[in-house]
Amino acid sequence: MNFKKILLAVDASENAMRAVEYVGAIVGGGSGFEVQLLCIERLPHRDLFPDEDEWKTACEMTRSEMKAFFDKTRNRLVEMDVPDSVISEQYVSSCFSPFQNGVRQCSRGTSIALEIMDALKAGGFGTVVIGRRGVSKAEEFLFGSVSNKIIHSAKDCTVWVVS
Amino acid sequence: MNTVRELVEQFQPGLRLHDYGRVYTDTSEFMSIDSGDIIAVGGKHYLVYRDAVERGLAYKDVKYWVKKCMELESGETKLLKLVFHESFYLEYGCVKIKCYRSPQKEARMLDLVRGDTRFMQGRSVKDEAGNRIRIIDFIQGKRIDHVVAGIKADHETYFHEHYPDILGKFIGACEAVAFLHDHGERHGDINFDHLMKEYSTGAYRWIDFDYAYEAHANPFGLDLFGLGRILACITGKWLYTRHTLHDLHVDIGVSELTSGDFSCVYKNEIMNLKKLFPYIPTRLNNILLHFAESANITYDTVGSFIESLEEYRLVN
Repeated sequence: MNFKKILLAVDASENAMRAVEYVGAIVGGGSGFEVQLLCIERLPHRDLFPDEDEWKTACEMTRSEMKAFFDKTRNRLVEMDVPDSVISEQYVSSCFSPFQNGVRQCSRGTSIALEIMDALKAGGFGTVVIGRRGVSKAEEFLFGSVSNKIIHSAKDCTVWVVS
Repeated sequence: MNTVRELVEQFQPGLRLHDYGRVYTDTSEFMSIDSGDIIAVGGKHYLVYRDAVERGLAYKDVKYWVKKCMELESGETKLLKLVFHESFYLEYGCVKIKCYRSPQKEARMLDLVRGDTRFMQGRSVKDEAGNRIRIIDFIQGKRIDHVVAGIKADHETYFHEHYPDILGKFIGACEAVAFLHDHGERHGDINFDHLMKEYSTGAYRWIDFDYAYEAHANPFGLDLFGLGRILACITGKWLYTRHTLHDLHVDIGVSELTSGDFSCVYKNEIMNLKKLFPYIPTRLNNILLHFAESANITYDTVGSFIESLEEYRLVN
């Protein structure tokens, strides 16, 4: 297990940025690290909108926010002395995206945590890093928690949960 | 276009109406559609009786976008659900959830469950203005909480004589929800008033699938929690709170209950039913406690919930 090969799972949230800052603090100035930014796309569902146009507009906005966050994240890591050459990105589109563009791999959005773990295994990462939102028990029960699911299902790797 | 009078005389000649309204082919302004009007869609004509009403023990909620109708061609009673793009915050116990009323979700679900009598049946058609109307076969039945509350027996008798059959049917209803999840769909509003026991067949049938809400890490958690709440209701023959214990003559001091005995979402609802009814087997009580404040682990899927219930049934 190469613990210096780090998979940093992000969405465009404050929790994710805290995780980015933490990775930057740990990795910055060190040697032998690789950091991959992973985003599993979660677009708003078509059912939440009265028509296709409103839905596509909302999806475009979400996707733009995510792409902008990736750039912000990369820049921040570089500012924290993580070489740009060791930073890579993986963006997994939603299977229900209106902009399919012939993607090979997509996310069905039913188990983000397991998809992160699949990416970890496929890429040979030794460490996964994720931000924690800090939900109540009731919210965790009703909506689930990606970070808790990763904690419970991770095997043969290191897990950093940043809260 | 034919008038209401002409259409009624053509299809139901023996029928006399108090008021003969007008014929609608565009249902956008559903508040204007009233008793005595006809909605003409999908090649059929629907005579409106009235707006649908949702009744609870202490409330009556008029659903102006749902019309109880007679399909003139067949004489059958139908519910027509018209388009109402509503979004609102639903208070789910201590959690607020933004919900959306989605005609297209319900239309899609009707296609998915067609022919499966564990669910309400119907079809969707578009009116002249492109509104997607769901035409639902009316179910004559009673909601599940009223079914169990209406059984004339003390709890111990109910639990030993009636509950096994009710639990078996409830497990069937859970399997129906698992079917939805296996197809990437969720009910969206699993509650007592959406699980009906049909009078004619005794079958348990799910109704009303038009709620949508934003996706989360576990998109099926809300459905699963709803099932847990229904289990508590059918096991206890009612959903108990601190306040109803006395009213329902349950002999336990409230000081014997701790916060861990209550639902983790509906903080006033008792999940630890064994404290109220000691003859409830521990194995069954433990299933309920997965939904309690004291729980360290919860069910991830409806499948694992069903497995636990089946394991209980095997040994009891």
